[in-house]
Parts: sequence; structure tokens; C-alpha cells
Amino acid sequence: MIEYDAGIAEQLSQVTTTSSVQVRVGTSNSEMVLASVLQPLIQGFGMGGVYITASKTAPNVIEMMNTIGLDVSPIHFIDCVSPGILGGTQNPYANIGYVDSPIMLESMLLRSLHYLENSGSQQNFVILDSVNALSIYNEERILAEYLHTFINTCQNRQILSLIVNVPDQTPAGVLANMDLYCSDLIDRGQVVIN
Amino acid sequence: MLGAPSYERDRCVTGIRGLDEILRGGIPYGSAILVSGTCGSGKTTLGMEFLMNGARSGEACAHFSATEPSVKLLENVRQFSFFDMSAVDQGLINVFDMDVLFSWLGLDKSTFNLDDIDAMVKAITDIVNTIGVTRLVIDSVTSLCYKVPNEQLIRDFLFKLGKSLSTLGCTTLLIAEITSVGGTAHRSAFGVEEAIADGIIVLGDVERMGHLLRYLQVVKMRGTDHSRAKYALELTRSGVMLTPMLKWGVSD
Amino acid sequence: MSINFDSEDEEYYGDMGSIGSVKFDRILTGTPHNTGSIPRGFSILASGNAGAGMDLFAKQFASVAEDPENTILISTSETSNEILSVYRKYDWPTDIRVRTMGEEYNTEVLTRELAASRYRIEGFTLSDIQKLAQTRFVEQKNHDFLTDLATQVTSLGPYFRAVIDSLDFFYSRFDPARVTSMLRIMQAHAQRNRGLLLLTVSDQAVEKSTERELMAICDIVMEFEVGMRGSDFDTRMVIRRFRNAPENLAFITFRVTPEEAITPETVERVA
Repeated sequence: MIEYDAGIAEQLSQVTTTSSVQVRVGTSNSEMVLASVLQPLIQGFGMGGVYITASKTAPNVIEMMNTIGLDVSPIHFIDCVSPGILGGTQNPYANIGYVDSPIMLESMLLRSLHYLENSGSQQNFVILDSVNALSIYNEERILAEYLHTFINTCQNRQILSLIVNVPDQTPAGVLANMDLYCSDLIDRGQVVIN
Repeated sequence: MLGAPSYERDRCVTGIRGLDEILRGGIPYGSAILVSGTCGSGKTTLGMEFLMNGARSGEACAHFSATEPSVKLLENVRQFSFFDMSAVDQGLINVFDMDVLFSWLGLDKSTFNLDDIDAMVKAITDIVNTIGVTRLVIDSVTSLCYKVPNEQLIRDFLFKLGKSLSTLGCTTLLIAEITSVGGTAHRSAFGVEEAIADGIIVLGDVERMGHLLRYLQVVKMRGTDHSRAKYALELTRSGVMLTPMLKWGVSD
Repeated sequence: MSINFDSEDEEYYGDMGSIGSVKFDRILTGTPHNTGSIPRGFSILASGNAGAGMDLFAKQFASVAEDPENTILISTSETSNEILSVYRKYDWPTDIRVRTMGEEYNTEVLTRELAASRYRIEGFTLSDIQKLAQTRFVEQKNHDFLTDLATQVTSLGPYFRAVIDSLDFFYSRFDPARVTSMLRIMQAHAQRNRGLLLLTVSDQAVEKSTERELMAICDIVMEFEVGMRGSDFDTRMVIRRFRNAPENLAFITFRVTPEEAITPETVERVA
């Protein structure tokens, strides 16, 4: 049985559905941090949600969470990676939707909103994993514009937004934007070497 | 001195997420709006969603299909969760095949003269008037105009049609097909449709790094203020969804 | 694929068929024998103006009806009753097959045009609209009478006799090239099956080029003429072409008698 990061759960208990949370992770602890974010949201608060993944394929994320012991079947995945892999969309999971490419930023947002409208849950979140993966495909200025739109749209619709990034690999301008527009910060970005 | 009271036109609320906001509440009642788009841009889906939302509030709606058989149209639109076939069964949405209408009127020929055009306008108007249609889609007006031999007659046709429908209080979407030329879409096939219509909504594709993204843009709408920005359009199972297109994401 | 003709049929039908009357056959060929004047397998074109006697000639030609089951008269301008009354008048057999395509066409087209006219003038009733909203397909388009014509003729067996009166109907409604193409098919069928095919057409009904094509397809070409001589009508036919028998080219005057219908009177040979 793994130990989730209780500090993250504590921080999340203080946010509202109009909050936008910057989630900083390190290169070696991202899986644990993500699991620690999802666990209180799904199991603790019973929220509905969408996980937008541009870093790994959705089946990969699902299996990783299952290994950790977290059941993510109640949430929906928007997978921007699998369509770029031949045969990538062949998988047994029913809770995955696809966007052809990480450059189709508006589609990610719209599909998330579409799913949440039809999910029936009262409180919802959207987690964007990750800004770094998106920056491979999108120029800094469009990414900055997108995050601004993304955060404001979610706030307007009372959807909790969580934006994952590895800070020392995020373009400075984008990082600065997130610092400006996000209401909360969960910082596990620096790996502590004992 | 007191200012004149502001006048707000009654609106036909489309029910399409994002579009009513763009139009500041909906389409002014009785307007004939050109919905002009390239192939696959979502014109037909938008038209059907417009009608379905009207049917849900008890309005009588009609769809004249000139580009695809109604059997195929209904089969394709059933995949969308916004669409309820019972609206067709109950006569709230009346779907007509133009070729059947032409056959009944003795208009199965390749070119129309003025009498034929008058007959067509009269037939559509009769149908709208008799069943009290308040929402109408003609898909597509381009294929009807191909049967009209010159620009002047096309103008006459659209003017008469628009005027008749407006008099009856029917809000109409005239679907038009356009081709994209050199990256810039024309707004109508014959150039005259856009001058006659009360509003123009353009649907097209924008290319971003080799991918095509659908967009919608309201170019003109008489009688109301509206946004003129480009909006990314997504065709989801529950219909059309719109969000502002990222400004830096449009390559000209 | 060659056709095997029954030897009894060969003996019964012979190499020649009648043009419509024994007297006519004798005058046409110049022989006293009662052996017919038209070689089996021939196609005949009869052209002329209205009132020149082509439609009566067509009926008379069909009346020979060696085998009524294998004889067909296709009329595009007369009703069945009109044709029947002529046959009774001349005591010709009334058991041949008759098809009045003109009558059928008018019934079909006029019905449709009347309905369209009503919708255009009076508009649609509520029940019309409900029916229109439920109709997903256009009803059967115009019956293709040209294909029907070709099918009727080509379905006839060996030693058939077929008359089409007249081609004007088809040339005015269908693409002329298509009509001519169908006629070639029928001509070939007549040739292979030793049938006899008579086609009538009015002068001015077709373009000159089409007329030349028809004359090339048919083995015998007759032109019917009517003129005034004093106060009387002078009717004659000109045999302009007779394949392999130029000696049969002639000017033949005729009159219509109550006993024998078209009755030749004089013949003036050309060759």
C-alpha cells in the first residue's frame, strides 16, 4: 500500500471549484504527485473529472494508477498521444476520448467541457498533463494564450483546473503566466536529495 | 431631453452552445441567415441542432434537403445525442426531399425559369404557412441556385424567398456550399446570396501545422450586435460546441 | 449465334412476305405470282406528309399477320378503338397484337402534369404536406417508352411482322441518336430472324442527317405523296430504294377503296 502525499490532500481541501491550481512536479516524482492529486479529488471529494494527457498515452496513465492502487475509472481521459501512434487507439478502456494532436488545443478544452456537461456530477475538475508536453508541439505564445483561456473558461464554469508542469523545463514566459493566473500552487517540483 | 428607448428585437434562441452568446441572445426573428461553409465544416449538423432545439420547445420546424436524401440525413444525424427521432415522427420536425417536391410540382428539369422559381417559392411558403413553421433549414440553397440560369434570377429567387418567410415570422438557415480558394473561403457560391441574406455565418477550416481545425465566424447579422471573432468548432456527440479560437494559432 | 429455323416454317413462310395485298405485291415486283413482294428480313421505311396514307398502309401491312401472335402494330397516335374500327371496316384480322403507346404516354404524362398544375395553382393541403414529408423517394420516373419499344420488337420470334407508326413520337421525345440506335437493333433483329419491320415517319419530323441514317438502315424506302390533280387528290408512293432489286424502283399511284384499302393503280418503273 503506497502512501499518498497527505500535504497535497490538505491543500486540495482548501480550494474551491473556481480555483486554478498549478501543480509542479519533478522528473522522478510525477507519478506519485499525480496520484496524490487524483486520490482526494476522486475518492475523497467524489468529484467528476477529465484528465487531459499530452505526456503519456491514457492507457499508460490508467495502468500506472492501477499499479499504485488508484481506480481512475470514474474519470474521463482526453488522450492526445495515442492517435500519433499506429494502433494506439486500440485499447480496452471505455473512458478515453481522443484528440488527433497536441496542437488541437481548443478541441481538448471543448471535449473536456462536453464530457463534464454530460457526466452528471455536481463538482468537476480538469487536469492538464502537462504544459511541458504541450510545449513540444506549441509555440510559447500560443501556449500562454491557451492556458489563459483554459483557466478562465474553467473558472467561469466552476470547474477546478489543475495544470501540471516540470518548472525547470517549462518556458519562462509560460511559467510566469501560470504564476500570474493560477490561484493556488502545489509545489513538488524540486527533488529533495537526502 | 430623454433619449429614445432602446429597441431590442425578439430573438430566436438557437440553443447551440456558444452561438447564442456570439449573437448576443440569438438570431433576430424572421431573419434569413446564410450558413456558408466548406465541405465537412458542420453546416448540416448545425442546422439540425437548430431545428431540434426548436422542436424541444414545441416549435414547428422544417428541413428541405436538396443535397442528400432525407433517409441518409436522418440516419447520419441519429448518431448525435441531441437528436430525437420522435420529433420527426410526431411532425415537429418535417423533413422534405427537394427532388420529391420538384417531382410533385413538375419541376424535374435542369434549369428553372421565372415561373418555376415562383412555383418553388410558393410551395415552400405554403408549407411554412400551413403548418406554422417558425424554424426552417434549406440544405443547400446552393444546389437550388445551380438550377437558376443567371445572377439576376438568383437574386430574385432569394429575395422573394426571404421576404415571404420573414413575413411569416419564420427564422431560416440557408445552407450554402463554398469552396476554399487559396486559403480564403468565399462566402457564397454565386456572390449574390450574401448580399440578400440578413446574416452570414461562415464555417470553415483553419490549418494549424498540417491539421485542419473547424471554425465558425459570424460575418454579418442585421438587427443585432455580434462577435466577429473566429471560434473553434467541435462536433461532439451532443452537437456543436464553440470556443474562441486562439489568436496565435491561425496561420494565414 | 445463328438461328435454327424450323423447316416447316421455312416452307410456310417462304422467302418473301406480302406488303399488304396480293395486287400490291404483284405490281411491286411485276410478277404475276402470289409469292409476296418483300424479302424476309427486310426493314421498310415509309415517309410522307399527313394525309398521304402512311397510317392506313401501316395497318394494312400489319393485317397480313401470317401468325397473329407474332405480329405487332405499335401506334403512337391512335387509340385501340380507332385501330379496331379500321380493321373491322376492312375485315382484317383483329387478333393481332396492338400497342397504343401514344395513348399510354398521354395517360401517364397528363395525369402527372395535371397534379403538378393543381399543386402550383392551389398549393398544398395539410394532408398533401404530411404525405410529402413522409415520401422519401421520387415515384417511378417517366416510363422509358423507347426501351419498351425495342423490347417489344426484339422479343418477337422468327418470321415476325412488326409495324411502328410512327417514329415522330420517339424522335420528338428522346435523343435522336438513341432512337436511331434502337432502330438499328430492331433492324438487326429483323434481319437475323427473317422478320418484317415497317417504320413510318413524317417528312420534317427529323433532321436531314437523321433521315439519311434511316434511309441507310432500311432496305426499302417508300415516300408517300399527295397532290391535287384538278379537283381530285392524287396519291402515290415512290419506291426510292429496294435493296438488291433496283428493278422495283417505281412510282406507284394508288387510291383507297372500301374493299381493299390501299389499292395500287398504275406503276411507272424507274430503272
